[in-house]
Amino acid sequence: MPTTTFDIFRYQPDVSDEAYRQDFTLEHDPELTLLDAILDLQNEQDGTLAIRYSCRSAICGSCACKANGKTVLACMSQVEDVKKEFGTERISVDPLGIFRPLKDLIVDLDPFWEKFKSVKPFLIPDGPPPADGRERIVSKEAMQKVYNESKCILCAACYSECNSYMADPEFVGPAAFAWGYRFAGDERDGQRKERAKLYSGDHGIWDCTRCMYCNERCPKGVNPRDAIEKLGGVAFAEGVTRDKGARHAKAFLISMRTGGKLNESLLVPYTDPIKAHLDLPFALQMLRKGKAPSPIPHRIKKLKEVQSLMKNVKETI
Amino acid sequence: MARAFAYYPGCVAEFSSKELNATTKALAPMLDIELLPMPAATCCGAGDIAEAKPNLYLTLNVRILSQAEEMGVDVLTICNVCTLNLRRANKMVKEDPRLLETVNEELVKAGARPYEGTKEVTHLLWYLATEEGLSLLEQKGPRGLNGLRVAPYYGCQLLRPSSVMGFEDPDQPQSLERLIVALGGEVADYEAKSKCCGFPIILAREAVALKESHLALSQSRDAGADCMVTPCPLCHLAMDAYQRKAEAANATEYNMPVLHLPQLIGLALGLDTKVMDFRRHMVPADRVLEIVGV
Repeated sequence: MPTTTFDIFRYQPDVSDEAYRQDFTLEHDPELTLLDAILDLQNEQDGTLAIRYSCRSAICGSCACKANGKTVLACMSQVEDVKKEFGTERISVDPLGIFRPLKDLIVDLDPFWEKFKSVKPFLIPDGPPPADGRERIVSKEAMQKVYNESKCILCAACYSECNSYMADPEFVGPAAFAWGYRFAGDERDGQRKERAKLYSGDHGIWDCTRCMYCNERCPKGVNPRDAIEKLGGVAFAEGVTRDKGARHAKAFLISMRTGGKLNESLLVPYTDPIKAHLDLPFALQMLRKGKAPSPIPHRIKKLKEVQSLMKNVKETI
Repeated sequence: MARAFAYYPGCVAEFSSKELNATTKALAPMLDIELLPMPAATCCGAGDIAEAKPNLYLTLNVRILSQAEEMGVDVLTICNVCTLNLRRANKMVKEDPRLLETVNEELVKAGARPYEGTKEVTHLLWYLATEEGLSLLEQKGPRGLNGLRVAPYYGCQLLRPSSVMGFEDPDQPQSLERLIVALGGEVADYEAKSKCCGFPIILAREAVALKESHLALSQSRDAGADCMVTPCPLCHLAMDAYQRKAEAANATEYNMPVLHLPQLIGLALGLDTKVMDFRRHMVPADRVLEIVGV
């Protein structure tokens, strides 16, 4: 039987305002999950040790926490696997990042639920139900488009290390936008354009910094960053492109059509024309260092192929 | 014998960060690498075209891969973002023959060569951070970095998503560390080495981006680094060109020179500093050159 030391974040506000760390040692079955280890510690060593959990089967999404700094579902991680992955005999266990701890490994998820609700995570059908009073039929192929997003169990693991959320707690964030695409990509939904508008603007889809932590951490393969990217595609398809982030992407498309390579001289003035004028000192510094872009765009060989693709490739988002 | 690659420097290295392109080209023969130009290759779209027009993104990137296939060689990159975009497109079509067929139909209609799905995309860091690559660096007899304390900065997209990148554990990367040590430097370790530099949103959401770069800049400073090194020119722009802005936004000072990966190798191998052109950096690299002794 292996033995493992768990170095656990403790916070018991009933007793003290100070958080601390506590070591627990457990002899255990080699296939024990991290959640079962914590529950064993709770049952056998310290009844006050708190974690939120329910199904123990990676379905309810309650027990997300950090093991050796990496966000995981405790019920989906085996103790011996974690030790092997990090080459350690000890495992540090911490609550989800970003959210405020309430007690030990339990965090305040109210902000997460607020973000979730803000994207209208439900179907808003177009028009009245079919005349025969039956359900709205959707093909298997059409549902395939939103299959990944449908797998989200709202465990909040994708927020725990989200770099944009760390910098801006108002960022709507990965899981919420995965649900946004779950419905924006559903052919029965009648609010694609309204959704594109709702999800653009400050703290919206164009605030995602593409750090890819959400894709890396999601225990269910939802790939929230991909969903955010698809919402960008929805915004373009619906003509909702006034956000600076969308304008930034437009500058890439114009560059592609006119030269095949990024025309850096377009990027700043096109993304944010007002700032392009106000930020003159910075522009001059860049100029002095030879970093000011040439106004004459580069032109690749066989540009016609690219222009033809830009004209003919159809989007299916 | 030299290993030949289809060289895909990416737009930033070709334009605003020319010093990276020049250094890589000068370094390649010293490392037995032959860089074959790709005059008809487009921009990878940097994630922006994928966000606006996903099918177009895929087709454009497969077109680039097909050009390398026609040349009979794999692609070598020097940018995190290019690496991810090209590898992602490659994975998508390699795993889905029907998708490859659809993309190829578009390519043929546009007069471009279809792709057979036979090529790989690798970053210079990955090529050099293997046993083979590291022993090559040692063979070349590096003059060494003279104990320069270097903070490795990976950024995001060379590590994540690991299902597409897959060279190393994204939570415990070691390639830059191994390279720094092989070149005679010391590693200044810090937690934020694989956090985001903020560059993808620096024009649209500058305030958010500058909070992001603060993490790595402040932690590398606190770890006593003489400089940072990065495998990505976009990270370089965020960390170097925007460093004074980040200082103002976060009310602190970093004074952290940031080197492109090939510049660090070039310093150790005795490459002419004029070629590496540190004068193009916003934060002077004087203290780095002083320690290395050039």
